[in-house]
Amino acid sequence: MQATLSALLVKASAEFVGLSSRADFEAAKARYVGPNGELTALMKQMGAVPKEQRPALGKLINETKGQLQVQLDAALARIGLAEITAQLGPPIDPTLPSPDAGSGTSHPLTLVREEMCRILRKAGFAVVEGPEVETEYYCFDALSTPADHPARDAQDTFYFPAQARFGNISKKVAEEKYLLRTHTSSVQIRTMLKGQPPLRVVSPGRVYRRDTSDATHSANFHQIECLYVDKHVTVRDLKALLDYIFASLLGKNTKTRFRPHYFGYTEPSFEVDLSAQHLPKVNKEWIEIGGCGMVDPAVFEGVGYDSTVWTGYAFGMGLERLAMLMYGIDDIRYFYQNDLRFLKQFT
Amino acid sequence: MKISRNWLKQYVALDASIDELKRAITLLGFEVEGVINTGLPPLTQVVVGEIKTREKHPNADKLSICTVDVGLAQGGVRTIVCGAPNCDVGNRVPVALPGAILPGDFKIKESKIRGQQSSGMLCAADELGLAGQASGLMLLSADAPIGSALNEIMPEGDTVFDLEVTPNRPDALSHIGMARELAAWFRRPVNFPPIIFRGITDEILRPDILASVRVEAPEDCLLYFGLGLTGVKVGPSPAWLQERLQAVGLRPVNNLVDVGNYVMLELGQPLHIFDAKKIKGQQLVVRRAVEGEKLRTLDGKERILSERMVVIADAVQPLVIAGIMGGVHAEVDAQTTDIVIEAACFRPQSIRGTARRLGLASDSSYRFERGVDPHGTVAAAYRAIDLIQATAGGTVVGPACLVGGDQSWMREIIISPDYIRERLGFYVSDQEMRGALEALNLIITAEVACAPTVNWTVKIPSYRTDLDRPIDLVEEVLRIYGTDRVPPALAVGPALADGDDDPIAIFNRQVTAYLVGQRFNEVVNYTLRSRQELGTWVSDAAAAELALANPFVDDQSHLRPTLVLGLLAALKLNQSRGVPATQLFETGRVFMELNGTVQEYLGAAFLLCHNPKERSWLVRSAPDFYTVKQHLIILAQQAGIDLASAELRPISGAGWGWQAGHAAAAGESSIGWSISGGLLDLTMVRAAGVEGTVWAGMLAILPEKLKSLVGHRRYQPFALFPTVLRDLALVVEATRPAEEVRRALLKIAQASTGPAFAIEAIEVFDVYLGQGLPGGKKSLGFSLSFRSQERTLTDDEVNAVFTKIQQQIVVDGSITVRS
Repeated sequence: MQATLSALLVKASAEFVGLSSRADFEAAKARYVGPNGELTALMKQMGAVPKEQRPALGKLINETKGQLQVQLDAALARIGLAEITAQLGPPIDPTLPSPDAGSGTSHPLTLVREEMCRILRKAGFAVVEGPEVETEYYCFDALSTPADHPARDAQDTFYFPAQARFGNISKKVAEEKYLLRTHTSSVQIRTMLKGQPPLRVVSPGRVYRRDTSDATHSANFHQIECLYVDKHVTVRDLKALLDYIFASLLGKNTKTRFRPHYFGYTEPSFEVDLSAQHLPKVNKEWIEIGGCGMVDPAVFEGVGYDSTVWTGYAFGMGLERLAMLMYGIDDIRYFYQNDLRFLKQFT
Repeated sequence: MKISRNWLKQYVALDASIDELKRAITLLGFEVEGVINTGLPPLTQVVVGEIKTREKHPNADKLSICTVDVGLAQGGVRTIVCGAPNCDVGNRVPVALPGAILPGDFKIKESKIRGQQSSGMLCAADELGLAGQASGLMLLSADAPIGSALNEIMPEGDTVFDLEVTPNRPDALSHIGMARELAAWFRRPVNFPPIIFRGITDEILRPDILASVRVEAPEDCLLYFGLGLTGVKVGPSPAWLQERLQAVGLRPVNNLVDVGNYVMLELGQPLHIFDAKKIKGQQLVVRRAVEGEKLRTLDGKERILSERMVVIADAVQPLVIAGIMGGVHAEVDAQTTDIVIEAACFRPQSIRGTARRLGLASDSSYRFERGVDPHGTVAAAYRAIDLIQATAGGTVVGPACLVGGDQSWMREIIISPDYIRERLGFYVSDQEMRGALEALNLIITAEVACAPTVNWTVKIPSYRTDLDRPIDLVEEVLRIYGTDRVPPALAVGPALADGDDDPIAIFNRQVTAYLVGQRFNEVVNYTLRSRQELGTWVSDAAAAELALANPFVDDQSHLRPTLVLGLLAALKLNQSRGVPATQLFETGRVFMELNGTVQEYLGAAFLLCHNPKERSWLVRSAPDFYTVKQHLIILAQQAGIDLASAELRPISGAGWGWQAGHAAAAGESSIGWSISGGLLDLTMVRAAGVEGTVWAGMLAILPEKLKSLVGHRRYQPFALFPTVLRDLALVVEATRPAEEVRRALLKIAQASTGPAFAIEAIEVFDVYLGQGLPGGKKSLGFSLSFRSQERTLTDDEVNAVFTKIQQQIVVDGSITVRS
């Protein structure tokens, strides 16, 4: 019997080594330890063995069975490994490029807008929005722009035909014309008419001027404006806000300067100059960046705020101009051409 | 406007450097757009010297060591190292002595140059700020007195500032105007030009020169003054007058014309001078033009006038377009001997309107449009008479014709210094404020104690029409105090209660973050597009509703109804430049029309391009409609729209550029939002010059329809018991939407399970057409998952339900179960 078992083991190992698939494995396994397997057949002969020999023989058979199982396990592991190797394929070449698109990108104007909103958010300003198609009242009249002011001329502002009707843009006066807003200041008026002071808002958005497009002018561009209305707002507060904005945006060594100026809706009014010679392509001491001032009492009266109680400031600037300054871009048209070699620089 | 420094110095003592002047003008509120220097700038410690000896520098080939006589007062002979080739003995040259500051802030000091002492610098022309090549030292004439300041022997230089004057400051549109401002800044007095002529005393009446003036348009002409002179002699202006005009860019013509221009630039009052012999009937009439009336203006062009325009006419015809430009018939010429001087004041709006309509602007109209002070009008005429008599002779003759001009001026502002301080937000003393106001000739005429403060009554001069309210004086004080002196402070930001960002901003931010995360590149396109593009891609009707009244260029004449056009244009540009582009997006306003009314929507759109020409070693599968669909579902979610439950309907018709059968839409304008997406029409894309296959998706929503989902989020409990799955294949018409079948199945499944447990989900996992199925049919494979919240389901109970479902689903006859 012992010889039979040994022979069986030798024969089985030789077979198991050659197994390469799970089906062959199962067949081989069945041939030895299956219900009709060779080892099973030997085990069935146990009944015919004399009683006193049974324990020794049983032990021998169990040992053989154990050895067979070890060999089967090894064969199965080998087959599993071979399967995985086949599934993996050849090793990768890490130097080959990925065919997938590179990272997505925000447009530089979006980056600058969001950065400004983030900085202003810290100073308590919330974003407000308004329509791009506006009426003369919100764009001009409420901002003390007289009816014959050059900015209102059809040479400078895009108008819609008298019969044009816009569903979701309210008119204050029936006979006024629709136009494309020339500044985001119209949003300030809408905000003041809708809410009550104190107010602290920032309105970023697209504006339109009827102008020749060149390296520094664009028929549509973007502005960002801040409005703060409260009691006891001062010129010094306005200067402090601008110092804070530009130090946050462009670095601590940025200085601002006020130059007295004139806007119909602020008094006093200033143009804001920046000194930021650490920026790329800046070769002047002072660069004009925006306009600002203390909200004119007439504007408050126009929206129903008591100008003896409420004071405020407003500040506005062009986003393109700011982006050009920050990134050293020298042609405004690049923002609207959308060449990906330009856009992908702002990942 | 150009202002000459030498001219200004006639009225105010200005010893400040050019840079200081520029800074003063800037901080007073006049932007300096350019500075043009002519001649030698004022220099100290730069004198005439004569080179006495010259030796080669021992340590440098190109340098010489010169001894230079600069006169005893400057220390006699000095040793100076010089690098110019022409530092020859005997030459008289400019010498900058230690302490001199040359243009460009170049300070001259005693120094050692390569070991040799040098006490000064011999100068080339460009080093002194003069034009000319730097070919060597500037050579002075042999009789230039040694030791004298260079400024003394050179003609005086000038500096011309090109200023931007804001429209509220017409009073600054003259040399006197700017002199007043600078006098206030530097706290100097203003020396007004003396006016000798004081009106006609011994009246010589010469109605044959000017008999009368009649103003028929008094609303447009507030004041008209006309006065004759006889016996003037036309000729060239004296040199000083020509020099003044040339400095600010005007071409001298003759003494009469030049005086007119000079007085305008000096005082800000435009004048007109007529040849009296050319005035028919010797009367001037200020009237509205007759519609269609013609006048050839001095620039040689024939102007057709309308009845809204004001002219100065004689008995027969118009001679001048009031306040803008004269006509050729009454022009002064070489033979002129008798003249009429006009000094008038016209309504700014009238001049502005006429100038705009005629497309004609002049120095005169520029000033009238902004406003001329009528209280200085007659004085300007008198000033001109002085100058005409000085340069062309002549005798003043009557009658002096003055019409209008009787508006009195009396304006006072009551203000307290505390009010000013409160607006400024920092301390400025009463005394300093008073000083600032009075420097601007804003005189405090009364001071009334009004505890705890004081009220000042400030008298406003007639030329400062811009000052009307206390707040206006805050700016005046700050201007003179110096806007650069506003003390720094911390920006203080209290949180406001309802300070949430507008939902539009939040939506744009979310959409951008999602699409950037999905590797899209954001683009920004113009809002205005061409009519032809809208007609091709959208519809002619839409194009008609979206047109501007006054486009500037043809290809930007209409509002965009979709962002896809811009995305496609950006794709095309990149392809044409050989730049691979596959995924683009944009957010922005779009405009769509519904029943003749246009609405402004928020838009978000994206584009995917599969261009087989862009090769790769490893090929990814191309995007398809279902790529677009998933992006749309997420965009919709960000707008608060649950697109999963809304029906996406196939787009079959033309319009908006979709490929019929390969695109779908949901929502519509009438409910405030619409979504569409899919394949762009292959033929149209090709016709537009774009390569590859292009998919796009867009969402448009009215701002007020935006909903935030944040507030609606609620936790739902979920079961921990296992699901039981069953698969079911159903055969239906090939054209029938899968979602319709799925919903029918879901309804039956829900009814069949009853309350005992739940059908958790039914998903399509297979769509099959072809062999083994009848023609025109398709098979949809659904996976049904069942789950109970309370226990593990048994196969038997699920099987019972599954059998019931299979029986029910075939009842209406449109669906069969595939075995």
